[in-house]
Amino acid sequence: MPRRRLFFHGGGGSLFGIYIVNVLFTLVTLGVYYFWAKVRVRRYVLSQSEIEGDRFAYHGTGRELLIGFLKAMLFFVVPVIVLTVVRDVLDVWIGLKVLAGLLMYLLLVVFIPLATVGARRYRLSRSSWRGIRFSFRGRARDFVKIFVVGSVASSFTFGLYYPFFDTQRHAFMTANSWFGTRRFDFDGAGRALFGPFLLTLLLTPFTLGLIWFWYLARKRRYFWGHTCFGAARFRSTVTGWPLLRLMAGNLLLLVLTLGLAWPWARVRSVRFAFRYLTLEGPLDLDAIQQDARAASATGEGLAGLLDVGGGFDLG
Amino acid sequence: MYLDGRTPARQRAQIRLMRGGLEVSTESGATLWWPYGEVRQTQGSYAGEEVRLERGGDLPEALLVADADFLASLHGISPEVASRFHDPGRRRRRVALTVLAALAVVAIAAGLYLWGIPAAAAVAAARVPVSWEERFGRSIVEHLVPAGKACAEPTRQRIIDDMVKVVIAPLPRTPYTFRVTVVDDPTVNALAAPGGFIVVFRGLLEETRTPEELAGVLAHEIEHVLQRHATKALVQHVSTGLLFTALTGDVSGVMAYGLESARVLGTLRYSRAAEEEADAGGMRLLLAARIDPAGMIAFFEGMEKRRGEAGPLLKYLSTHPAPEERVARLTRLARAPVPAPSRKLLDGYDWADIRRICG
Repeated sequence: MPRRRLFFHGGGGSLFGIYIVNVLFTLVTLGVYYFWAKVRVRRYVLSQSEIEGDRFAYHGTGRELLIGFLKAMLFFVVPVIVLTVVRDVLDVWIGLKVLAGLLMYLLLVVFIPLATVGARRYRLSRSSWRGIRFSFRGRARDFVKIFVVGSVASSFTFGLYYPFFDTQRHAFMTANSWFGTRRFDFDGAGRALFGPFLLTLLLTPFTLGLIWFWYLARKRRYFWGHTCFGAARFRSTVTGWPLLRLMAGNLLLLVLTLGLAWPWARVRSVRFAFRYLTLEGPLDLDAIQQDARAASATGEGLAGLLDVGGGFDLG
Repeated sequence: MYLDGRTPARQRAQIRLMRGGLEVSTESGATLWWPYGEVRQTQGSYAGEEVRLERGGDLPEALLVADADFLASLHGISPEVASRFHDPGRRRRRVALTVLAALAVVAIAAGLYLWGIPAAAAVAAARVPVSWEERFGRSIVEHLVPAGKACAEPTRQRIIDDMVKVVIAPLPRTPYTFRVTVVDDPTVNALAAPGGFIVVFRGLLEETRTPEELAGVLAHEIEHVLQRHATKALVQHVSTGLLFTALTGDVSGVMAYGLESARVLGTLRYSRAAEEEADAGGMRLLLAARIDPAGMIAFFEGMEKRRGEAGPLLKYLSTHPAPEERVARLTRLARAPVPAPSRKLLDGYDWADIRRICG
């Protein structure tokens, strides 16, 4: 059975070069360059990632990101400020204050799911491999539903529902991701993670919480192992100890250099993710056609406000 | 290799460099004409990387060229053509420019950190109206001291309030009304919220041996208020955060956590500076009010001794100045002007009794 691996050709040094020029321009332009800086880093990371002899490509632009950010400010930050003023500062009828409070609560509830879906839709739509675009086709409304139900259920069960919630979110994100005309499939279920989750919870006090790295590794193995692309299936062999070493190493690196070693930490993370991941089985690429979907950067802008988008996982 | 932008199939292709464009003959027998004006290079500016050329709008066709000499040949055609593509000969210069950029970044960041941010904080803090500070300070105190945890036995509270009046008597005029709240909490600590709210923890009060010692602490906290340190700290915190965001860009997860720690380390410098200012100002205030400075020195000495039990690393990470230095500096400051004959605070009162404000 063919076993494919991802390779990362880049290095911390080249990324540092991009990063330091980005910092300079961001400082000099009082932050406006930030969006172009983001694009340059993403383009580098994707274009240095290879599978089956071909590299990925990133097609986003700084202008898009800037507009996305401004729209996110307009649709989210401005309403929140207005509602806060109505609720806390203005001297108006009490009913209006209650209404403003409710509306604000509603905005905050939908914020994270909308931002997560929006960011994923945008990022996938701007990524390609062999000229074929990825896309995300899940409806935001469905994710809001999963998110609200899952959050409520998790808090009512004192967190015990969390692995189910986590898996549902992941399933939604994966099973709505497409490469051209082919969809990624996810056939995992939360109950498989419930046992490990419970064990981890019980062992937390005795392991200073470090056991969570093992749970995280377990979860990654499970999630990847139940992700398919056509007839091919992903497989992750990551384990807790290396994951702990990676994260502790990155943390130390950043703290000791006051953040300057960020490019090396980033490269370490990407290399680490690729080292433990394989894609096994026939790819059957001939059956795939281009099928790109439009996506605005507004959700990406929202995600940028609270940093909920997470990293790239390359589909 | 040729990618048509419609399928993920790779086709072998022959590329011929012509005067006006590239002539591409694909495996399937098609011949394409790519005028240089429509071609853009999206990859291949690093050594060992294949060159990627794209043509077309949103979903472009692409050519991937592994031949290392391809770019050099393109540059040989004409200057107009050359300007559209990356020149491998300039990589060395790019490295030099990058190093230059790094130096500039270090210089700018250091400048902002050492002068820019403190200056911005001072300017911003000076423009915040006292009424805002008071509103902010009150909400902090309400949060820190929940109802029922404040010790407000009236006689003893009045004695402490009078002590504040004695300490601030030498000040020409101040927009602040100072209010001291004693909170029933064993922590040895005192803090100044913006707008003149001073919170003294029971633990600290019990630690003071004489009224002069408490007066020293109060003078220190009053200086925090007068110099608007809390407001400055807020501005410094936010702007250091912005600086760090500019320095790092796209970060999430554990890395964001690491950066947050770095940022906290970064702001420690500012808080140490603020403590030193409050020490110096507090000492001046005491001397002007003709209160014996020995009390303040003795109290901080005692505090530092207690804290001295912490390891050396913790001391380094502390928000306060290094202990020996601090006491030495206070002693120096106390000597600076000719010491006026000091008055005795609360002559005839039993300090041990006053300390029992919390019952």
